[in-house]
Amino acid sequence: MATAATLSLAPRAASVADYLALLKPRVMSLVIFTGLAGIVAAPGHSDPLTAFVALLCIAIGAGASGALNMAYDADIDALMSRTAARPIPLGRISREDALGFGWTLAGGSLLVMTLFVNPLAAGLLAFSIFFYVFVYTLWLKRLTPQNIVIGGLAGALPPAIGWAAVTGSLSPAPLILVLVIFLWTPPHFWALALFRSDDYARAGVPMLPVVKGKPHTRRQILFYAVLLFPVGLLPALIGLGGALSAAVGLIFGAWLVWQATAVLRETDEEREPAARALFGVSILYLFALFAALIVERLIGLHSVFGTWT
Amino acid sequence: MADDDDAAIQFERARRMRNIAIALALGGLVALFFVMTMAHLKGHVVELFQ
Repeated sequence: MATAATLSLAPRAASVADYLALLKPRVMSLVIFTGLAGIVAAPGHSDPLTAFVALLCIAIGAGASGALNMAYDADIDALMSRTAARPIPLGRISREDALGFGWTLAGGSLLVMTLFVNPLAAGLLAFSIFFYVFVYTLWLKRLTPQNIVIGGLAGALPPAIGWAAVTGSLSPAPLILVLVIFLWTPPHFWALALFRSDDYARAGVPMLPVVKGKPHTRRQILFYAVLLFPVGLLPALIGLGGALSAAVGLIFGAWLVWQATAVLRETDEEREPAARALFGVSILYLFALFAALIVERLIGLHSVFGTWT
Repeated sequence: MADDDDAAIQFERARRMRNIAIALALGGLVALFFVMTMAHLKGHVVELFQ
């Protein structure tokens, strides 16, 4: 007897919601947020319409990357409980349709960014899509336990794209924001990998806990959390943010490090509650830090520690 | 038989919704191109025809 749950997951014609799911909306929301921080933090006046188009292109480019990732990783997704309910493994959208959808969106976002924003922002967006699809998805993900460390560069670039959209140039300041997200990625994804390690092992994905074991992964998580702590304070120290960003960086950064030490001491390898908590704390950390930056720039409370932008 | 009819109705509904979504997206893109072009020209459209 079919239940409501099994009926809702059964193969059927693809709906609009299935295509939206291909865009990885939760990842997209984080990318929009960090891209907005880059736009708001950039010096000089930004035309609101151009800023909106830039953010739209960043969002669609990220969505395209997500759709292409799901198309190329459909074999892996079908084997993992976390991803088995995605539209392609369920048979609702074919791999070919997802590829067509993804590449069309990628091309469209790059075209609009080039025509209406500027070539540097378009080039950076193209690089981030290329890096996520070819370097991370098709190459590193199946090759090395350092996959998410190197591949994390693609997800870290939106602040630089936003900055370039406004200024038409790059400087060390947006690269600090890129560095924050780059160093945030390993503790975030390795926390997930700890409590989903069986999933990754079943799919043959060489995530760090699968290849090097959980104790090694816990030490690496703490290493990156400690490294992230001072780097998370840099945006405030160079004048991108102010006292609020500094306070958020201190409090949430310390919380992240404390939770990483809890992961290090974890004894429940079955349920990994500390890693689950760290996964949540890491999301809070990034949202809080970038929200503080955006708020301070918008109300003019940044630069209390001097400027370097 | 009833299951086949339900599936056919659902298929048609999904296809109709997809078509509407594509039409809206294309319409949005046309509007975006128009608005951005006008914004870039900054009201100098008349000069193009002089």
